[in-house]
Amino acid sequence: MSLRQKLLLVALCTLALPVAGWLYVRQMETLLREGQAQALVASARAMARSLVVVDAPLPPAGPAWFLQRANVPITIDGYADDWASLSPWAQPFGKNSRVMLAEDDHWVYFYIDVRATHRRRADAADRLALNADHLIVSIASGDDSQRYLMASAAPGATTAIALDADAGVLPDRINAQWQEDGSGFRAEFRLPRGLRLDRFGLGVHVAADGDPDPLTADNRPLIDFSAPLSQEVARLAPDGVRVRILSPDAWLVAQSGKLALPDLPAGDRPGWFASLVYRSLLATRLDSDSAWAEDAPRIDLPEVREAMQGKTATAWRAGEARGSVVLAAAMPIQMQGKSHGVVLLEQPSRAVPLLANRALFGLLLTSFAVLLVAGGVLLLFATRLTIRLRRLRNAAERAQANDGRLDGPFPLTDATDELGDLARSFERLFEVVGGYTDYLRTLASKLSHELNTPLAIVKSSLDNLDHAGLPPEAAPYLARARDGVARLGQLVRAMSEASRMERAIASAEAEDVDLADIVRGCAEGYRALAGDRRLEAELPPTPVPMHCSPELIAQALDKLFDNALSFTPPGGWLRIALTSTVDGADIELSNEGPPLPAAMQGRLFDSLVSLRDKATPGDAPHLGLGLYVVRLVAERHQGSASARNLEGGVAFTLHLKGLPRQRLG
Amino acid sequence: MARSIAIVEDEPLIRANYVEALNRFGYEARGYGSRRDASTAFAMRLPELVIIDIGLGDEPEGGFDLCRELRAKSATLPIIFLTARDSDFDVISGLRLGADDYLSKDTSLHQLAARIAALFRRIESLKAPAASETVIEHGPLKLESERMRVLWNGIEIPLTVTEFWMVHTLVRFPGHVKNRDQLMREAELVVDDATITSHIKRIRKKFIALAPEFDAIETVHGVGYRWTP
Repeated sequence: MSLRQKLLLVALCTLALPVAGWLYVRQMETLLREGQAQALVASARAMARSLVVVDAPLPPAGPAWFLQRANVPITIDGYADDWASLSPWAQPFGKNSRVMLAEDDHWVYFYIDVRATHRRRADAADRLALNADHLIVSIASGDDSQRYLMASAAPGATTAIALDADAGVLPDRINAQWQEDGSGFRAEFRLPRGLRLDRFGLGVHVAADGDPDPLTADNRPLIDFSAPLSQEVARLAPDGVRVRILSPDAWLVAQSGKLALPDLPAGDRPGWFASLVYRSLLATRLDSDSAWAEDAPRIDLPEVREAMQGKTATAWRAGEARGSVVLAAAMPIQMQGKSHGVVLLEQPSRAVPLLANRALFGLLLTSFAVLLVAGGVLLLFATRLTIRLRRLRNAAERAQANDGRLDGPFPLTDATDELGDLARSFERLFEVVGGYTDYLRTLASKLSHELNTPLAIVKSSLDNLDHAGLPPEAAPYLARARDGVARLGQLVRAMSEASRMERAIASAEAEDVDLADIVRGCAEGYRALAGDRRLEAELPPTPVPMHCSPELIAQALDKLFDNALSFTPPGGWLRIALTSTVDGADIELSNEGPPLPAAMQGRLFDSLVSLRDKATPGDAPHLGLGLYVVRLVAERHQGSASARNLEGGVAFTLHLKGLPRQRLG
Repeated sequence: MARSIAIVEDEPLIRANYVEALNRFGYEARGYGSRRDASTAFAMRLPELVIIDIGLGDEPEGGFDLCRELRAKSATLPIIFLTARDSDFDVISGLRLGADDYLSKDTSLHQLAARIAALFRRIESLKAPAASETVIEHGPLKLESERMRVLWNGIEIPLTVTEFWMVHTLVRFPGHVKNRDQLMREAELVVDDATITSHIKRIRKKFIALAPEFDAIETVHGVGYRWTP
């Protein structure tokens, strides 16, 4: 992974920015919402108090029967078909019954559905009716109240018989329809609204359950949607808020206001993307319960349930209009310590999502821009860094390839940062390495220079010793000493040869010559030296002109030949070949002999590297300069020297391109 | 009377050896350890031949200075440089200052004696008329071996003793290739191949300086050199 990619990865850190911003916007939105919620709760509280103070017709405390509005005409037939639209809000009673109550302009309808698999049947008029399955229906209007016994031995019309004495306006009997099947029985009847019923009681007595008191009825007040209360509420309700009064059982008894929002101009209306952003990023805590939106007679919402417990509750819901929210606040209505219902205030709002969305959008846009800018800046920075590092690396590699010396100044050394430090360290390092290399290079010649004087002392002393009248037995020792000094002298000369050669090679003068002539001449010269070894020369028939230093090339060939000859076994072969190439010429000297060890091939042409075994006593010392000279000559001619193994032999090749021509004058 | 030779050499052991050896060869040799000593002595009386080391004590180029000084006093005094240095640059500097020969300290005392004798012989023979049998002539070249003079078209080429012996070796058998070993032996010189090459180069230059058309010394690559008549 490159530095640039790494820095780009680092740039991803700026992604934390939008996240932080998103958290911040959410927090801000929460604060806004809390403020709004508190305001609405305050309104709700004020509303609840006002309703108590103005003595509005509030629903009674405790459980009550709720009369639904009958939307379709109801026929008294004992079947629930015409109650279908009302059945979702059937009020459960006891453990096996459901009760539905409805009213229209003239009648109040009752439908009682009892689940009973084991039946005991009797008519109401039957004496044993109280021991059979029966219903006790109790109604009251003002101070009058009456109880009726309702039972039937068979499906069809039946009559409920009053159980109490005369009760004013209330009828003595109620005509009802009774139907039954395997799962239970149902009774349906109606009473005129003119009776002004305000209480209704019911007792379901199934004989199989073993009822101890067959005459009880559960009396509860009857409530319905109250227009006077709605008017009262409308008077008190704040603008832009829907107010609903719920009975303690969560029945809707009064309502005022609508959830409509003022229409926004098209441009300001949040688009689908904005609302999507709002819903997915911000509004994750909106309740999705849709019960509040329906035109239901019973509003059974969590906040309402909470308010029933006497606590204030608020809830946020997604609004009907796109991008809007609805805030609901539920507040119990308390009168003399009893809960008379709940005020539910609902306030639709577009401001919060709009604000939050705008903030979020602004934030996202800013952070995206920041991300782009940061990424771009980092990319630029990384690119610059990479370029500088690459320059440094290239310089280091060049210097390394060049024995620690760099042509020209080391880059970046005047930079003030860490890279500059690194470059300066590199520079110092290469200075040291270069100095060391120079030292090594010149060590031999310096050493030989210093050794020359003591050597001259010994030599001249030995010369003098000759004439000092030594006894004859000393003569051999003198000869040996002379031999040793001569060998020492050779050694010292060989040591300085490299630097002398370098100087000589550098100052060589070029001529236009035919390379074939030189090689031919050399080959002729070598023939005498080859002895019993075969020497072949392969020369092209045409001249090979080259701008070169013939002395140097002959010298290099001398070294190669000397080298080849020493490795060729007696009777072996040697071959000198000259071939003309596209941009110069190759001279190859191959010979029979042992192959080159693979480990040495790269260093073969270095100074002071020798393949030979330790020099046998008496031989001239071998310092491994020969092939080094060959390399220097080749390089002076803009070429190179190489060595390779042949089948049963070795070939050394000089690739020459000629010396650069110097301009005249 | 013995010829007087001065040896200016800062290394006392070498100086002593040389002085003793030259005395034994029949010369009257004196050694001087520094340029000042030598200058003082030479102011009194000039020797007949001077052998100078280039590096003298603290003065790395002291020998060159002394040579310049001496050459100013006498144009004919034979001067031999003797040094541990052997770079071409030093050789050329020394010869340009008018030294008659340039030897490395490798040179044995016998070789040194041979050179001294040759120089004296040259001086002597210049005074006497040339004996005709010692003259070798090849076209424009005239080589007087007694006087150790080389003339090209009648103009003298200023060769050192070493160079003269090399030319002499080549000219004695024109057309024969002389390899480097042979040249070395004839010139009583123990040097390496590169030095022979530079000697030959210098000889050519000296000829060409006076006769631009000169190309009589031919290089036979891989073998040596020959004189083409």
